[in-house]
Amino acid sequence: MRDILTVIKFTMRDMLTRKSFIISTIIILVLIVLGFNVPNILKAFGGEDFGTQTVLISDQDQVFDHQLEVLQNAETGYKIELESLGYEEIQTKLEDGDINAAILIEKTDDGAKIRYIVENAATTAGLPESLDTALSTLYTSIQINKLGLTDKQLASLVPNFEYTLEQTQEEVVSGNIFVMMLMSVVLFYAIYFCAFQVSSSITTEKTSKIMETLVTSTSPRTIVLGKTIGIGIVGLIQMLIFLIVAVLSAYLFLGTEVLSSVLDLSHITISLGLITILYFILGYFAYAFGYALTGSTVSKPEDIQSANTPIAILAMVGFYLAYFTMTDPTGDLNIFASLFPFSSPFCMPFRVMMGLASGWDLALSIIILVATILVVAHIAIKIYSNAIFNYGSKMSLGEILKAYKQK
Amino acid sequence: MSGLILKEVSKSFAGKTAVDRISLTLDRPGVYGLLGTNGAGKTTTIRMLLGIISKDSGEITWNGHPVDRKTVNFGYLPEERGVYPKVKIINQLMYFAELKGMNKTTALESIRHWAKRLKVEEYLNMPAEKLSKGNQQKIQFMTAVIHNPDLIVLDEPFSGLDPVNTDIIKNIIIDLVHDQKYIIMSAHQMSVIEEFCTNILILNRGKTVLKGNLKDIKSTYPANRLLLDVKEPIEQYLPKNKFKIENEKDNQYSIKLTSEQEAHDLLRELVSHNVDIEKFEIMKPTLNDIFIEKVEA
Repeated sequence: MRDILTVIKFTMRDMLTRKSFIISTIIILVLIVLGFNVPNILKAFGGEDFGTQTVLISDQDQVFDHQLEVLQNAETGYKIELESLGYEEIQTKLEDGDINAAILIEKTDDGAKIRYIVENAATTAGLPESLDTALSTLYTSIQINKLGLTDKQLASLVPNFEYTLEQTQEEVVSGNIFVMMLMSVVLFYAIYFCAFQVSSSITTEKTSKIMETLVTSTSPRTIVLGKTIGIGIVGLIQMLIFLIVAVLSAYLFLGTEVLSSVLDLSHITISLGLITILYFILGYFAYAFGYALTGSTVSKPEDIQSANTPIAILAMVGFYLAYFTMTDPTGDLNIFASLFPFSSPFCMPFRVMMGLASGWDLALSIIILVATILVVAHIAIKIYSNAIFNYGSKMSLGEILKAYKQK
Repeated sequence: MSGLILKEVSKSFAGKTAVDRISLTLDRPGVYGLLGTNGAGKTTTIRMLLGIISKDSGEITWNGHPVDRKTVNFGYLPEERGVYPKVKIINQLMYFAELKGMNKTTALESIRHWAKRLKVEEYLNMPAEKLSKGNQQKIQFMTAVIHNPDLIVLDEPFSGLDPVNTDIIKNIIIDLVHDQKYIIMSAHQMSVIEEFCTNILILNRGKTVLKGNLKDIKSTYPANRLLLDVKEPIEQYLPKNKFKIENEKDNQYSIKLTSEQEAHDLLRELVSHNVDIEKFEIMKPTLNDIFIEKVEA
């Protein structure tokens, strides 16, 4: 036990003092802060708040009977300016950057012509739907008022529908799919890159020929376990720092509207957070021992990539199996993904979040994952112990099997 | 029985015998020399006795118990030198000291002591990659002795060291023997083995070709060399069919003998011709001679 702690401490210190680790952590933190500041940065460069562009409406022919003020209070997502201007004046305002777009309303014989004017139409699809709907509704309302209908007649014209969403399946699906997918990606990268460090760490020890001294100082099992746990702790701390900085940045730099709609964290409870951390830890160990195994089969840094390919493919299959089946969370494939040990870490926390996983499902998934970890760890330690003196070329599958069978 | 005992130990790799029924006993403090050509099985023997690789058959005991990392306090300097290139020397020494069961305070004291003896104090806070190969080797030597082990295994401890550093390590080995340590040393330099070892074992292709007390072994060999320092050339007194001159420089001769009598006959011949003789020494075979004879046999 004391030896494991010593290996953990040494591994953590080695990781934390590596220049590459410090620099990559700082870069990712800066990117997180910058990412959440994109709207503010665009605002700083564009001079306007991103998302609340100013649209000028000019109705020189009074098609809307001076009633366009209503739009200024309507929820169109745009800041509406009303001014009676001609095309040339609008052009000047656009070029000066006073407005982002303009709507020029002109009366025609059988109605009106709506001209949506922007500085460059290449990146604009046309009149935004919200403005189109607002203008149509206002025009209809004005025209109906002109007919002199009673309040009752008027009320019968306005649709009074009640919309609901229902499903035929029994499971109740809840949660924000965007948050789930985002967290799935974060979990995948955190697990994958932390686990990858284990193989690199083992191969580096072989390259530096320190293995022989090391295995006479403590057991191979202690080395593999200590290394894996040490790197895992650093990875977990790093991931938590990223998450804390991301959440703080979201609250500090994003508007409340974006927070409540896109990043709705209301379904993330403490128990879900704990389950996610548990799956991070278990998923990390499953992959880390896999990487310990592949790292033991090579002794040159240039061979690491090819040796790691089988684990990388397994990780990709696991991740995409979880990610793509999320769109059909009640389907058999998603259930399989939540039990298959190499995809369950990316899938099960979200089934829990969606309220689709029972306690038994969760227990079964964890049991399968833990059993897999024990098997992979056993094989990895065996290969590591018997491949210590494998200096030179990458071991073939036959040699790996032989190393496993060796006493 | 105290000390280290290897009894009929064998090891094969892919059907090829690397070590064949080797036995040795180190029952009192001192240095035991393990000799052999490259690939003779020295390192395999060392790895088996330290439990790094398993033996196929035989018995290895330390003080009557099977050798185990947990029960035997041993130190090891492997032939394949290795350090963590990016890690500060003090941190890697602390790491190995702690793995060997030392607490921080004792480990630090020991590191300071050995760093001073090996003259590497100034490098303790530097990463290993900034040190010369010789200094890296001294750091490795420190990891072998830092925890005050009872049994020390040194695989080629002098290879790659300059004369100054060789001398430092030699003095440390002498002190370790005085401190009652049991040392197994493998080396290619026969002079080093002769200097330190009381007992030797010569391996050739995994088999023991010679084993025992070095002094006893040498005593069984007849004199085979004559060293002569004379004032004038003496080739005319050395018939080619009788004497083989191994080396000659400034009238200093090293002559191969087949018997001691030949030397006495030659001395008489030289005296009778009034040759001025400064040195006349009949030599026993060196370990180098014995080694070559055994492995070439």
